[in-house]
Amino acid sequence: MSGGAQYVVAAYAVIWLLVLAYVVMLAARTARVGRQVEAITRLLDRREAGKSGAEPEKTEERA
Amino acid sequence: MMALVRKDLRLELRTRETIVAMVLFAIVMLAILQFGFGTRDDDLTRFVGGLMWVTLAFTAVLGVGRSYVAEREQRVLDGLLVSPVPRTVMLGAKAIAIFLYMTAVEVVVIPLVGIFFVKGPYWDAIGWIAIAAVLANTCIALSGTLFSGLALFTRARDLIFPVLFLPALVPVVIAGAGATHAVAGGPHDMSEWRGYCLFLLAYAILFSLVCVATYDAVFDD
Amino acid sequence: MTPSSTTDGPARIPGQRAAVIWGTIATILVVASTIGVFLIAPEDADQGIIQRIFYFHVAIAIASLVAFAVACVAGILYLRTRSERWDDVGEASIRIGLLFSVLVVITGSIWAKASWGTWWVWSDPRLVTYLIVVLVYAAYFVLRSSAEDDRKMRYSAIYAIAGFASVPLSFYSVRVAESFVHPVVFTSSGANMPGTMLWWFVMSQVAMIALFIALLEVDLLGRRSERALRRLAMRLESA
Repeated sequence: MSGGAQYVVAAYAVIWLLVLAYVVMLAARTARVGRQVEAITRLLDRREAGKSGAEPEKTEERA
Repeated sequence: MMALVRKDLRLELRTRETIVAMVLFAIVMLAILQFGFGTRDDDLTRFVGGLMWVTLAFTAVLGVGRSYVAEREQRVLDGLLVSPVPRTVMLGAKAIAIFLYMTAVEVVVIPLVGIFFVKGPYWDAIGWIAIAAVLANTCIALSGTLFSGLALFTRARDLIFPVLFLPALVPVVIAGAGATHAVAGGPHDMSEWRGYCLFLLAYAILFSLVCVATYDAVFDD
Repeated sequence: MTPSSTTDGPARIPGQRAAVIWGTIATILVVASTIGVFLIAPEDADQGIIQRIFYFHVAIAIASLVAFAVACVAGILYLRTRSERWDDVGEASIRIGLLFSVLVVITGSIWAKASWGTWWVWSDPRLVTYLIVVLVYAAYFVLRSSAEDDRKMRYSAIYAIAGFASVPLSFYSVRVAESFVHPVVFTSSGANMPGTMLWWFVMSQVAMIALFIALLEVDLLGRRSERALRRLAMRLESA
């Protein structure tokens, strides 16, 4: 049985793909955290701008 | 401890609902399984271990799942939890009650399996099967107590409990069916039977350690 | 695999450096051992090219057991300390362990197809055992999703311990039942393969353990970041 290279390739491809998918999942979460940090930063910026200006505006951006 | 076992059993004897339902369920299961084979062959000796232990596993799910419900509904558990009874004693009482339920079901199921499915010699093997069943009951009682305790306060506990319990029961089913198969219907393969029984013993010991170690944490609120 | 650096403020989330380092090590090792397994390791005399599945298949199997062991220890530590940190470690480990066991089942099935011509062989203890292991640990997430907060963490910890107890039982129960097996690559006395093969197997094993650690570190970093973010958001809302 020296054939069957396609099975070996398939096995390793499955391993690589699933691990990559897992990493992408983790990356997606990190990206979400990043977006939320940006939202909070914007909120802060606006607040500070509001304080130095006229009145503090209240915007709830984050869920 | 014996008082707690008695409580479980008295509760049971008064209602009799669980045990009767469990026995009926087991008989129905046996019938359904046989139809599932799609054969009208009278001699199912080859499958007898599987038939018996699949039935017992599902019956265990049914019975163990019920075993805490009475306490939950009738608020017995709240009383027990605030009482000074050590958790390990509660565990022991519950395990003994489950053990007795299973034994009661097996008293009906094991002979019935012989009558229904085995055409070869069976009755001289029944003692060996009973020993394996006692060991398996211990395993079922211990893991059943632990997992039903875990499922007790979850949402959808009726669904959660079998999902937790059945995978842990797979080794018991494998060993129980193996031991039954080794002795039922023909020449007894005692070394195989002994191997499975030792395995069941190891399972019981390991799970009793896990139960003792974790049971305090199951109910610490 | 590099986590984006989130804050430039004073509250630096710990573990970023570890995540980057382990991510890099794991990537290098996994790439290197894939190349080694395909191009450098010698062809097996009996099984030919199919034997090459073995390297990662077994390495991932062992790494998944390591993951479950870590989760079991984390469970014990959680019950001792009641610290969220150990719950995080436990859940992350089991998630990775489950991913690995699914991979074991899939690659094992491919191996069965390649050498026996059928996708599933009930008489192969490794496939059957890992199927049971997958079921045991998939139930962990069902349990987690149906309880809250403190109770969720406590139940998860207990289940991680009980689950780990049932792993060796599944292994043994399936093996009691089997007399005939898989190509035995390991004998109980040790490795039964030529030196270069063993070398690449060890390499794959190290790579898989490193992959586990890297995924765990990145996952934990993510959880810590989320938690820090939630605290920050709460502070902002109350301010």
